[in-house]
Amino acid sequence: MTAGESLQVRVRDIVELAPSLKRFSFEPAHGGLFPTPPAGGHVMLTLRDGGRVMKNAYSLVSAPMERARYDIIVRLVAQSRGGSAFLHRKVAPGDVLEMARPVSLFPLASSAKKHLLIGGGIGITPLLSFLPELKARGARFELHQLSGGEEAPVFERLLAPYAAGEEIRVHGGGRAAFDLAGLLSRQPLGTHVYVCGPHALMDAVTATAAALGWPRGKIHKESFGGAGGGLPFRAVLKRSGIEVEVGETQSLLEAIEAAGIDAPCLCRGGACGECRTEVIEGEVDHRDDFLSAQEKAGGTVVLTCVSRARGPRLVLDL
Amino acid sequence: MSDQGIKSRPKYQPIAPDPQGRHHLLVVDGAHVPAEALAEGVNPSAFEVWTVAHKSAVPGSAAMEEEAGAVRVFRSVPHLFSALEERLARETMGLRLYAAGTEPFLWDAYGIGARAGLSQQEMAFAHVGAQARRIFCVHCRTVMEGVTTSIATCAGCGAPLFVRDHFSRRLAAFMAVQIDAEVPGEVPQAEELYS
Repeated sequence: MTAGESLQVRVRDIVELAPSLKRFSFEPAHGGLFPTPPAGGHVMLTLRDGGRVMKNAYSLVSAPMERARYDIIVRLVAQSRGGSAFLHRKVAPGDVLEMARPVSLFPLASSAKKHLLIGGGIGITPLLSFLPELKARGARFELHQLSGGEEAPVFERLLAPYAAGEEIRVHGGGRAAFDLAGLLSRQPLGTHVYVCGPHALMDAVTATAAALGWPRGKIHKESFGGAGGGLPFRAVLKRSGIEVEVGETQSLLEAIEAAGIDAPCLCRGGACGECRTEVIEGEVDHRDDFLSAQEKAGGTVVLTCVSRARGPRLVLDL
Repeated sequence: MSDQGIKSRPKYQPIAPDPQGRHHLLVVDGAHVPAEALAEGVNPSAFEVWTVAHKSAVPGSAAMEEEAGAVRVFRSVPHLFSALEERLARETMGLRLYAAGTEPFLWDAYGIGARAGLSQQEMAFAHVGAQARRIFCVHCRTVMEGVTTSIATCAGCGAPLFVRDHFSRRLAAFMAVQIDAEVPGEVPQAEELYS
């Protein structure tokens, strides 16, 4: 499920923000303006590296009212499955890429009295697209960005345009020096918390908030990538009558797509559930944030974008 | 006619403290917490309780204790609601609000909670006491209290109104619509349903 036809986008410029962080700015390849994106929205880029096709989702960091360009920030990950390395090393200004129209699985709650934003590392990206929207609404908010010491100045610079008169703080000491429980326990009624970052941070925010009495409906998290690879295995697509090999650095979804099957997907990060597929046979190594503990234990469904087989073979109803 | 099969008709359950909550505030529109308002085995001391004495002589609450087991007494419902607004404005996440009493009381408390930012997950209500309804004339916007009959004459525009089960949480009232709109003058006998 993606909204409408995909877009052809041209790389306008690439700015190196830090040794492993680059900002890519895109413009419509055929002129005109982009559709208005939702705040907190992401786009999916189709990256063609030789014969290999990767589809990666990236949060938009440009303002929702900005339609002349879309900006994303990409971290070069050491354990990259290929997408970030391809963007960092092979994509140059002037290149044209295919991009799915922006969608948001991480919307701002319209009834919130206050928005508490917590980012960890590159998890700052969806929060950056919230800021102009929150400013435009005149909404009350507070932002805390956790970072390693060396990257703190980079995040300070990214946040600087919004910082005047606002509660925006970058914590260069990372999690250890950050009083999460203190922050969550002093928030007024009607606050919604949004967290994006490593799983450990998102789990800590979710668990701490729940222990302090926050209802589930006011805790929002956006997961990204981080699925990593694993041992290769074979996936049998029963309905299509074909078998595909899933490589070490490839996701199950990518292997299915490489075989020419148009499988459902949306976030490609284990968050939305769009790629949920029935499992007929085989054990699943669940790596998503979507399925309930019972569903995971049941072993009859898999999110193909992040999860893998625990054994040599997985039979899917696809 | 008492069950019109309308989904907006609120349903209620006896109150038990939400184990996920950090602090529990229970407001009631009488002098005591009615036993039938609480789930089996739940003691009022699990809550900070606010009651309404409906009289001028109430004990002063010099020490403003805000903890489970504390009881604060108010002269009237408006007195309690005014304090509730102030209290919620300075509360932090983790509070749960509970109310026990008549429906107009419950849903006025709900409105105060919702305006303070509480979601439905953070509030719970038990209906005890009179069944009398607050109704809202959809034609002239007049609100009438204590309606006990299936049909009532609007105090604002004089229309004979059918009291529906259609409930507005925003207005904390049941919707009432003109019953003889199609055949003027054809008004069935009113039945005593909500006493």
